[in-house]
Amino acid sequence: MTDDKLHNDLTRRDLLTGTAVTAAGLAAAGSMLTRPSSARAQGKSGVVRVWGEPGPYAGVAVDGMNEWAQKNAPGLKFDIETIGWGSVYVKLMTDLAAGQPANLISVESPLAYQLMAEGLLEPVDDVIDRIGRDRMIEGTKWEYWGKWKGHQYVVPAHHQPHLLMVRMDIINELGLSNPDTWTWDDLLNAAKTIHEKKKMPGIALALGRNLCTAYHFAALLHSAGGRMFDVANKFEVVFDSPATVETLEFIDQLRPYMPKGATEYSFLQVVDSMVTGKAAMVFYWGRVYGRAAEEAPEIFKNIQSFNHARHPRTGNRYNWNDFQGWAIPKQNNPFINEVKEAVAYYQTKREWLIRYVHSLVPNVSPVYKDVASDPRLLEHPFFKTKKDTIMTYYVNSLKYASNTGNELLKGANPLAGIVHGRLILAQTVQKVILDNWTPAEAAKWGAQQLESVRKEHFRLVI
Amino acid sequence: MRSLLQSDLLDQVRKAGLYVVLLFVTFLICFPLLWSLSTSLKPSTEIFATPPTLFPSEYSLEQYKSLIYGKDMYFVPGTTYRPKTSPPQHFLSWFANSIIVTFGSTLISVVVSTLAAYSLTRFRYWGRRFIPYFSLLGYMVPSIILVFPLFLVMVKLGLTNNLWSLVLGYVSISLPFCMWLMWAFFRGIPIELEEAALIDGASRFRVFYEIVLPMAAPGIIAAAIFSMIVAWNDYLFARIFINSIQKLPLTVGVMHFFEGVHVNWGLMMASAVMMTLPLAFLFMVVQRHLVAGFGAGAVKG
Amino acid sequence: MMAQGPRLPRLSDRQIGILFVIPFLVTAVVFMGYPVVQAIRMAFYSVNPLRPGHDTFIGLDNFYTIFDDPLFWDSFHQATVWTLSSIFLQTVIGVALALLLHVPLRGISVFRGLLLFPYIVPTVVIALIWQWMFNPEIGVVNYSLKSIGLIEENIYWLSTPTMAMASTVMLNVWKYTPFVIICVLAKLQTIPLELYDAAKVDGAGAWRRFADITLPQLKEVLIVVVVFRTIWTFNKFEEIYLLTKGGPGTSTFNLAIYSFEQSIANLRMGVGAATAVVMMVFLLLGSILYLRVFRFAEEEEA
Repeated sequence: MTDDKLHNDLTRRDLLTGTAVTAAGLAAAGSMLTRPSSARAQGKSGVVRVWGEPGPYAGVAVDGMNEWAQKNAPGLKFDIETIGWGSVYVKLMTDLAAGQPANLISVESPLAYQLMAEGLLEPVDDVIDRIGRDRMIEGTKWEYWGKWKGHQYVVPAHHQPHLLMVRMDIINELGLSNPDTWTWDDLLNAAKTIHEKKKMPGIALALGRNLCTAYHFAALLHSAGGRMFDVANKFEVVFDSPATVETLEFIDQLRPYMPKGATEYSFLQVVDSMVTGKAAMVFYWGRVYGRAAEEAPEIFKNIQSFNHARHPRTGNRYNWNDFQGWAIPKQNNPFINEVKEAVAYYQTKREWLIRYVHSLVPNVSPVYKDVASDPRLLEHPFFKTKKDTIMTYYVNSLKYASNTGNELLKGANPLAGIVHGRLILAQTVQKVILDNWTPAEAAKWGAQQLESVRKEHFRLVI
Repeated sequence: MRSLLQSDLLDQVRKAGLYVVLLFVTFLICFPLLWSLSTSLKPSTEIFATPPTLFPSEYSLEQYKSLIYGKDMYFVPGTTYRPKTSPPQHFLSWFANSIIVTFGSTLISVVVSTLAAYSLTRFRYWGRRFIPYFSLLGYMVPSIILVFPLFLVMVKLGLTNNLWSLVLGYVSISLPFCMWLMWAFFRGIPIELEEAALIDGASRFRVFYEIVLPMAAPGIIAAAIFSMIVAWNDYLFARIFINSIQKLPLTVGVMHFFEGVHVNWGLMMASAVMMTLPLAFLFMVVQRHLVAGFGAGAVKG
Repeated sequence: MMAQGPRLPRLSDRQIGILFVIPFLVTAVVFMGYPVVQAIRMAFYSVNPLRPGHDTFIGLDNFYTIFDDPLFWDSFHQATVWTLSSIFLQTVIGVALALLLHVPLRGISVFRGLLLFPYIVPTVVIALIWQWMFNPEIGVVNYSLKSIGLIEENIYWLSTPTMAMASTVMLNVWKYTPFVIICVLAKLQTIPLELYDAAKVDGAGAWRRFADITLPQLKEVLIVVVVFRTIWTFNKFEEIYLLTKGGPGTSTFNLAIYSFEQSIANLRMGVGAATAVVMMVFLLLGSILYLRVFRFAEEEEA
């Protein structure tokens, strides 16, 4: 018996038919799955990719941009891509590595500074001119959002401070003083009193290995007069300082009056503690009000926000402010001009700016003084009961705004993005809280980490 | 000597005991599903009530309706402007995308791996002993690193923001293991039956189709389940390869309900339920055929 | 017999064999082989993802960097602990549950479907749900345990290094045991019942029947399952990262997380790739050794 007998007689037609059927099937499936990707055309038609953080406001801005597009570039559509904070870095890196970043991104200033210094962004001085150089609210400047080596690279979208948020019903019940007058000692005392008398955590901060911890810590550090880098002096690391030690000690002192699980807390858990009534005070941005209004009206009635407690010696009460803005990646971006036009368009239309701010009151704060003083701003329902709180978020906190991208407003710091990526600040706090290091040891360790960041990325700052 | 009645009783007790154990184990393991189901049937105001309740005090389908009709997710009081796009609008697209991508990658993985495994165990050619080990390599590099060069491949093929990139990406993950699984199964299937049929004059293809495939059915089903889960479950590739919100599959889409600092638990839990039950139901149906295929099978010892 | 049109030359067995395996080879080479080669290549370069096109060749520097880093070794150690405990639990519980699900009770298919649930839920979703359920203050788990009276004080599931490790192992075991169950169950259903009947007649008890009949039959499947699960578990990223971000501190870091931090947070993809290469070599040697020990590639079975 030859091998031949054991084989199927494949005819050429069978083979070709089979291949043709498969190919047709794949093609049909492919045409169902394939939709036109963003056109690399000369800016007249296609999809403009816009990145926003989670939340409704970026979508409002994009609606405004699409209004521009309908009138001026009907072939274009602005498409919002909401990237969660956990994925931003990964997706940004991959897109950049592949030469395909989004056409417009919404970023907070530490990341913006890093991207600027790497030369990845398009300057937007012309857009700022169109919007109006003198429109800023008193006490804030364009450069806080992103100015580097003489050029502005970020168009402000909003500012976003975190404040001391307090359950006034508990404060009043225990006869504590007005939180607006507090120093660090008063804050500590209040937390202690609440813990003892009401048998509940007085305050909840994030102490986990995440950005929320870093932001809480940074605000306190700045109030104590401390910084990570000395911008004026070749970015020398000045983190190992009495101010840092003091801040770490303060957090350690607050610790017993925080929920025991705070060492795992991130943004979400801090908000949970306030909204479920588990903690009497938190440091937080305005989102809590929206959530409380929807889920816990009783709590909503009783919470109020103040500027932070003052540092007893320096008298400062800095808050972490995100300084959120729009940046335009340069690379492979065929829509740079259109994006600039669209952003300038919605930023010069007060209705859109008001809608933007109203989409998440009082988390998203207006940047321009004409918007802040427009009577239509007050038409949001929250203003009926929370006007003081809202105006604190919007205006009164600005003179105390700071973040690691521009420490104590002494100059831009592109290394901040990297510091946050490596969670150095959060880890420093955890060394004290979890590993029981002394604040001095932890400060030294933190300074070493910062030094290695400075060395590795020095070319960014020279 | 036990009487017939006594051994019957013992049997009943044994069966009852097994049911109890099964129920207990299932309850423990499926508790998150129960919790998701329960939360998804609560109205938004009850979700954060303390103490947490397992049974909703008030049943409501509002979460499911939001997903199907695309209710606006952002809580904006009064007559404030609502953004035109809100994630729940896209839920059904996400669902469809997940199904397309899962079905496509599973089909390709199972077919290709079955053919390859059969080839490796029935035919002789150079390199056939290497190939299985070579295919392990991909698993040894963490996907968080592999995603970069793989994304570049997709860019070169022009497949970014296209569901095909996901289909092929998932095939690259599930194919090697499916191949191993089928390889193990084919090695356990005695060759005598096939040889007998071949001698009788059947073609290779008929032998494959009528004799080998049925015996390998449980392996094929296991491989298919594995491929489906790989595709259904993935977040990383979908987040990196796809940009537009309407082309995302469920995993990435549903994470839009995690608005950074606020999880819309109602929508999230309803989604979790809708993402789980179809596959669980599919498995319940499929594995019944598994048993049926074997009840009558005459397999050599 | 199909006989339309001109016939192709008869394909030999060998040619059919190669034809069957070509789709696999093409797919594997393009979508797996090429990326793996690129990843290995990156290990020898300094790669900043924010500056593509500026890769510089630096030889073995990345490897020196990681071998000098105590965090690398901690991560290695933690990864091993995590993997071994997860695999052990998954295998033992998986086989036990597969046996339980193999019993032909009425309605068993419902249980089989339900017990697949952990495997079906995407990790990103279950990590969120888990964090909520296991929130020490407002989560339902602590609440239930307290109401039954099993515990008096809240358990802090993720707040200390030991608890965090245990919780991530728990999540991993919960999620992937169904995988073991499916594979083992599929194999169990091919074991002929006559073998058991014969053994019962001979007077063998339940444990003897398990040890002498079931286990040997399961051997091959278990070998495959353990090898793959070990490789996958060692490389796991999402389960740990989403739950603890590698914390508290760095106590739940494994090598995948270390690699990720180096690549994305530290902007040093070359270092991340070098870590991946080390992982690959380790797993490759381990697998080869393991398969040799169990004499998996016996020729007589082919």
